[in-house]
Amino acid sequence: MSNNGNGFEPDITAFGCIFCGYMAADTAGTLGWEYPANVKYVKLPCTGKIDIRYILAAFEQGADGAYVVACPLGNCHHVKGNERGKKRVERAKKILDQVGVGGERLEMFFLSGGQGKSFANAAQTMVERVKKMGPNPVKRKA
Amino acid sequence: MITNNLERDTATVMVLGGGVAGMRAAIDLAEAGIRVKLVESSHGLGGRVAQLGFMFPTHDCVLCRGTSDHGYGCTRPSISPAFLEHNLHPNIQVWTNTQVLDATGEAGDFTITLRRFPRYVDPDRCTNCGRCAEVCPIEKPRGFEAGLATRRAAYKIAPRAIPDAYVIDRGPYCADCRRCEQVCPTRAIDLNEPVHDEDAHVDAIILAVGHQLYDPRHSEEFGYGRFANVITSMEYERLASRSGPTEGIVTRPSDGAAPKRIAWLQCIGSRDQSHPYCSSICCMYATKEAMLAKQRIPGVECRIFMMDERAFNKEYNAYVHQAREKYAIGFTRCRLSSLKEDPQTRDLIAQYVAEDGARRQDTFDMVVLSVGMEPPAQATAVAKRLGIHLNAYGFCETDKFAPLQTNRPGVFVCGAFQSPKEIAESIIDASGAAAEAMRLLSTKIGHAPRSREYPFLACNGEFPPERDVAPEAPRAAVFVCACGDAISQVVNTDALTAFAERLPNVSHAEQVSYLCLPEGHARLRRAVAERGVNRVVVAACSHRTHESLFQRVIREAALNPNLLEMANIREHCAWAHRHDPAGATRKAQELVRIAVARAAKLAPVYKDRLAPVPRALVIGGGVSGLTAALAIADGGFEVALVERGDTLGGHLNNLYFTAEGGNPQRLLRDLVNRIVGHDRIRVLTRSEVVEHRGHVGAFRSVIATRVKGLAKPTQSIVEHGVTIVATGGQEARGSEYLLGKDPRAMTQQQLEEKLVHLPEQIVALKQIVIIQCVQRPGAPDYCSRVCCTNTMKNATRIKMLNPNCEVVVLFKNIITYGFREQYYSEARRRGVLFVRYTEETQPRLEIIDTHGARKEPSALRPDDVYFTSLQVRVREPVLNEELIWHPDLLVVSTQVVPSDGTQHLAEILRVPLSSEGFFMEAHLKMRPMDFMEEGIFIAGMAHYPKFIEESIAHALSAAGRAIAILSQEPLFYGGVVAQVDQAKCVACLTCTRTCPFGIPRIDPVAVGNGNIVGAAWIDPAKCQGCGTCTGECPATAIQLVNYRDEQVMLRETAGLGAWVTA
Repeated sequence: MSNNGNGFEPDITAFGCIFCGYMAADTAGTLGWEYPANVKYVKLPCTGKIDIRYILAAFEQGADGAYVVACPLGNCHHVKGNERGKKRVERAKKILDQVGVGGERLEMFFLSGGQGKSFANAAQTMVERVKKMGPNPVKRKA
Repeated sequence: MITNNLERDTATVMVLGGGVAGMRAAIDLAEAGIRVKLVESSHGLGGRVAQLGFMFPTHDCVLCRGTSDHGYGCTRPSISPAFLEHNLHPNIQVWTNTQVLDATGEAGDFTITLRRFPRYVDPDRCTNCGRCAEVCPIEKPRGFEAGLATRRAAYKIAPRAIPDAYVIDRGPYCADCRRCEQVCPTRAIDLNEPVHDEDAHVDAIILAVGHQLYDPRHSEEFGYGRFANVITSMEYERLASRSGPTEGIVTRPSDGAAPKRIAWLQCIGSRDQSHPYCSSICCMYATKEAMLAKQRIPGVECRIFMMDERAFNKEYNAYVHQAREKYAIGFTRCRLSSLKEDPQTRDLIAQYVAEDGARRQDTFDMVVLSVGMEPPAQATAVAKRLGIHLNAYGFCETDKFAPLQTNRPGVFVCGAFQSPKEIAESIIDASGAAAEAMRLLSTKIGHAPRSREYPFLACNGEFPPERDVAPEAPRAAVFVCACGDAISQVVNTDALTAFAERLPNVSHAEQVSYLCLPEGHARLRRAVAERGVNRVVVAACSHRTHESLFQRVIREAALNPNLLEMANIREHCAWAHRHDPAGATRKAQELVRIAVARAAKLAPVYKDRLAPVPRALVIGGGVSGLTAALAIADGGFEVALVERGDTLGGHLNNLYFTAEGGNPQRLLRDLVNRIVGHDRIRVLTRSEVVEHRGHVGAFRSVIATRVKGLAKPTQSIVEHGVTIVATGGQEARGSEYLLGKDPRAMTQQQLEEKLVHLPEQIVALKQIVIIQCVQRPGAPDYCSRVCCTNTMKNATRIKMLNPNCEVVVLFKNIITYGFREQYYSEARRRGVLFVRYTEETQPRLEIIDTHGARKEPSALRPDDVYFTSLQVRVREPVLNEELIWHPDLLVVSTQVVPSDGTQHLAEILRVPLSSEGFFMEAHLKMRPMDFMEEGIFIAGMAHYPKFIEESIAHALSAAGRAIAILSQEPLFYGGVVAQVDQAKCVACLTCTRTCPFGIPRIDPVAVGNGNIVGAAWIDPAKCQGCGTCTGECPATAIQLVNYRDEQVMLRETAGLGAWVTA
């Protein structure tokens, strides 16, 4: 739904681990915390697996926004995979700024598996933020 | 009489209690090929630990670290993915709502009569749709949330309850309207389900029935139940938990405001007249709760009122120090006698005597009562029915030297039912009790299936041979589950199915009403068998709960389980976008689109396998090493026991009596005799491990043995499947307080020698001063656990030999945790004087000659002992006066430090050390006997200072884990692990730095990029499968199996970024 103008609904990719992140998404559903339906969850074994290339590929392929959902800092299933992931997200933000896509389109959230409401809030936050920014400029050119 | 049990080939152990200890014991037994009946009296597993938001001192919430298996999720309230319904180990049978009525028979042949109370919902048919709760008219306080939220009579105990199903509470309040039964779409509810009695035949019993929390209503002076803002520590845990009713926001019950001043009152239901024992955990959890408050509520003030600061485990001292210094949490040494409430503000007023002796009054807007542990309510009934003895406190009675055995042979105990204890010790006990059961059932270890390549085994015997799909083009079948209408009432599943059918590589798509029920499995299997599909996409619910189920089903249809891909259109779609059906349908289509795209890229995943060398290497011949070696050898495996010294026994050689009254020398003789006479144990004294290579199941060590008359030690090679490190600790021997310089100053161990061998010298003494917590300058600050009780033991013995001798103990904190509190009481009763000192008021020792002049310790000559006296001075804070003694004997409690050579051994084994210098386990709470590296375990004082009974339990736990590995035939490893394409590797060391577990190494023989020698290698037996290295490898030489770049990036279908056009 990449219409321009006021009716813009962004397409957003949420990368997340199969531990806290995936479970937080499950909890949101189980407890009925609703969030916009234009966020899709891409599961990785750990947010330490997040690769700058994956983030950039998401934008190249047309995502208007992306975010990463990790276990809380200090509580990573793989001890500190999420800290590595965090560094890569920070680097990817800089690259997105440099290429004119905007680092603001990318974010990282640290949630425990029980935080369904916070998961829904994260989705809401990103959708609203990206709505304000408009469609991904890469997609517009294509 | 020959019974069925003797004829039965497999052994069964009943584990009573489904808390964290019971679950751990069940997993260990199941892994060793022993069947388990896990019996729990409540509706679900998890016990108290499931309710805790965070664990001290790491603030971990992740029980998923309880095991090292690769599985889904922080599976609270489980300790492991292993308990998720469809991942449940095939050897474990879980019976909830079940109580024991009777137990007859004997070890190896018990008959247990069980009563199963109805839950009225069949967990196998419940899809968690929640309709029953929606229609239920009854509202009750939610027990899991400590009453801070409500539930219906038809409810689920917690979102991630195990069993993962609803339950109907048909208490007297149930309206009996039967609406739940009528509304249930899968007919899972049967309100006529009867109570069911049945007999179970088991070989052994493990009691893990836990504890209950003290009800502070009995302490009326604190106003719990009357004053709105007085809550219990468990209520606070739920408020602070991210999965709690407020997702972690702590608020005042009276007005919902954020509290500004919170007080914790310690020892509520501990260390008092009716509970003359210490609950062991409250000091630490109160510190944790205060830290959580400080982290979350800006400007909040926290004060903990405590008698002693009992932080007596690894890293705990640093934790409390951090609470005080970094978080500015106030610790006041005082036991409050009562609280008052300001009726206007509902604030609480505390009056107390401060440390300086002044009377104070403080106001708090919230007070947390740190409630202690009591024996569980069912303890008396369980004891009576099972014929076991309880101790004076109502907990299970055990012997110091057999801490996990009850008085009835074949009945073992673990966890808080044995004595109040924390999670880590409960886990230790649990694996230890499992080891005791394995020893009893050694001839049947491994008789039930135990080796698993996947979380599941075939339902009936064997799986068919796997079909080779490599030559075939991807042909996917898509199954869309309507989940009754739980999915289809939001997502247009008809449109979704039609959409799926049109996707590339899809040869078949169908809609099923309940894919998880047996009818659904049959349709899945049929489609695979008859339509020749080689990929299966399931659009249904969560991977976390159902992936292993569908993996098993397609494996039954001869496909590799990894050729399954799931799209979560329930939790992530229908349930999260209830009011946006169009959006939900579009998202479901997108999820199915990328699932199909990914499915086409999937490849079978196989694990590697090996036959483990059936031998354990045990390093250290003290009580821990001896105990572990015996348990493993009794379990049927070989042991090589390596001891550095000339003789076995370690510190048991220096211990003559215990506070409890047992004789360690008897234990020593018993252990050594059994070791020496055991035909499966090879003892290597005067020996050290000098090289240790390989991985779990296949280690190879070089042992150097000193031989008399030879200049160089002789070397021998031991091949072994597991390693147990039991190198112990030792009493620090420094020169503080004239130790080693003046014969009147001695350590506790030297005092014990004197008490036993030279009691006549003790009889002649008039005054003895004992100084606790003496550290070498610059040494890390930690509690050595055993010294306080040792001091009580020795002080009491002095008073018994010589009641007129004045005994003064100078201490910082008295840490006589658990039932050891009685020895503190006994010492005081016998007139031992206790005087507190602080960091700032360390006791000073001087030497005074016959003229009253001070003498420099450095000028002391040997015969000055006869012409000088010792003078100890300390400032007493309450009296604010300097107290002076002139003792005949000065006893110093020095730290217990790691054995010499610990660091060197750690380097050889490539395992880490803790900040205190002891070996560092995989996880402080959940894996206290494991190293992060599979197959290496830790036992006894090498881990941290311990009492004999704690070392024995720890050694047994390591042995239990070791047996579970040694009995695997084959042992599976690898699977979803990182693989290096060495031809691309430039040996830049990025992966070695990035890996959270330090697993990648440079293989000096391998040839890397540009034919340069040296390339990275990742041992599949060690890799944890997180993929952290792959995200940083500059040459993209590393790929994670099942998450290869092409499998994640889905370039052709633009699956990472683009969306389906609706």
